[in-house]
Amino acid sequence: MDLPATNLPARRSRLRVMLGVYQQYWRINILTTLEYRENFLIWLGFTFVYHGSAIAALWIVLTRFPSMNGWTFRDMAFLYGLWMIAHALHNTLFSTVGDIPDHIRDGEFDRLLVRPLDTLFQAIATPGQVFPDELILGLITFAAATWYSGVHVDLLFVIFIPLIVIGGALIDLAFNLFISTVAFWFVRVDALRWIVIQLEQEFTRYPISIYSQGVRLLLTFVVPFAFMNYFPARFFLHKAHETSALPPEVGLLTPLIGVIAVAAAYAFWRLGLSKYSSVGH
Amino acid sequence: MTAVTPARPRFRLAPYLHFARVAMAREGTYRFDVFTSIASLLIRVYLLRMVWLALYARNAAPSELPLHAIITYSTIALLMGLVMDIDQTRLLHDKLHDGSIATDFMKPINVPLYFFSDGTGEVLFHAALIVPSLLFALLIVHIDVPSLPVLAVFFVSFFLGYLIGFCLNFLLNCIAFWTLEIQAMQLIVTWITDLFGGEIIPLVIFPAFLQRIAFVLPFASMFSTPLLIYVGVIKPGRYLEVLGVQLFWVIVLAVIATFVWRAGAKRIVVQGG
Repeated sequence: MDLPATNLPARRSRLRVMLGVYQQYWRINILTTLEYRENFLIWLGFTFVYHGSAIAALWIVLTRFPSMNGWTFRDMAFLYGLWMIAHALHNTLFSTVGDIPDHIRDGEFDRLLVRPLDTLFQAIATPGQVFPDELILGLITFAAATWYSGVHVDLLFVIFIPLIVIGGALIDLAFNLFISTVAFWFVRVDALRWIVIQLEQEFTRYPISIYSQGVRLLLTFVVPFAFMNYFPARFFLHKAHETSALPPEVGLLTPLIGVIAVAAAYAFWRLGLSKYSSVGH
Repeated sequence: MTAVTPARPRFRLAPYLHFARVAMAREGTYRFDVFTSIASLLIRVYLLRMVWLALYARNAAPSELPLHAIITYSTIALLMGLVMDIDQTRLLHDKLHDGSIATDFMKPINVPLYFFSDGTGEVLFHAALIVPSLLFALLIVHIDVPSLPVLAVFFVSFFLGYLIGFCLNFLLNCIAFWTLEIQAMQLIVTWITDLFGGEIIPLVIFPAFLQRIAFVLPFASMFSTPLLIYVGVIKPGRYLEVLGVQLFWVIVLAVIATFVWRAGAKRIVVQGG
């Protein structure tokens, strides 16, 4: 519901309520994590092994074959680090968006609709056991990868990298939200989510120049995961010889792409919300 | 008066065949998941083709694995994954979670064998997916086919690898006797198996020291051994040796699984389910 612009105090107090709710959300998350410490440690172990085995696989292959389409292991480490940090930022702030289909299936979603706060905001702030461990790990990995790959850290880097990471997280959010919205029509969306996750997590590990043209176009314009890491990495690593019609500077467009993607996904979400009828419980 | 010991019920196979059939039918109800697993496999086949093509294009190829052999290797690995990557004994975990395992112990059945037949039914259903997946995969990549005797040895080795996988999976689900949160542990073991089993990258192109570690772990017997037999890196002279190592792991893991199962089952009785 949109309030008229003249009603500023009401809008401000609503913002204060949301901020308060969000604070509580993090308080509960952290308390839950502290309560189930064993559980937390084992999931931390999982995060380690997941990213560790991905990086190890790249290292093993690129020890035997020193370059992949002109990209060495050092370049690939930067490529991975950039994706990891954006992905971890998304997982920390917005992983709860992925639970929406579950809420719809078990009828919990209807409770969010009758409360006087934005539905999507409530869905995002549904407490679970979120902890910024992957983000911290991502920051460390990215810092190490930047040093290792020898990327020149200048003013441009310092200004743009945070924006690119946020933009990448927004691209992630857009697809998470898009798939969750599909659940308004088709209750089971696990299959669709699985395929999109695969396109993101496995195809972003390599420079997209190794793929055929159709897949390159797909990853640039349809599911723009190439903007999460490939295009920015190409710009900062000065990969001039990549086969691409696009100039290297498109790597700085990631924040813009992220905003556009989220705006589109949000419009779709509003449409889905207006068409929603409960599964009936 | 002589004490009459109740006769132990004679072993009958029929109930277990029934359990397997029920499991197959259950899997068949998730039709959309069938579509997904084939689609996801084809996406991976495409990815592996492009990755190996890019790697072989500008570097010297390893002599033992030319490009066509490594593409064959990776494609067959993905097809094997359709049956190897199944959580066959998840039922054990679920039943421990909701407590229904207590009633299973009262039934006149061998409970681990019940889980084995349920898992086998599930696996057979997924094994049927190999054929359509293979046909679609052939649209993306070309696969070498070895001679018939080699193919036969490959299937024997694949089966031994499957038994190792089954024991490992059973052991993992047995952890649920002690703690119910096992998903993360399972995922950790899955990633380690994928890497050190040679499912993603053939172990023969690992750096020497990692190769030495990988080849003494049981995971290599799950994927790497059958696959290297298939592509001919393991020559017929070594068949007995590698199959023997696989059999060794089957026995070791089965013995461990038996002990863990007994220890776990005892806990159930103590708690009263």
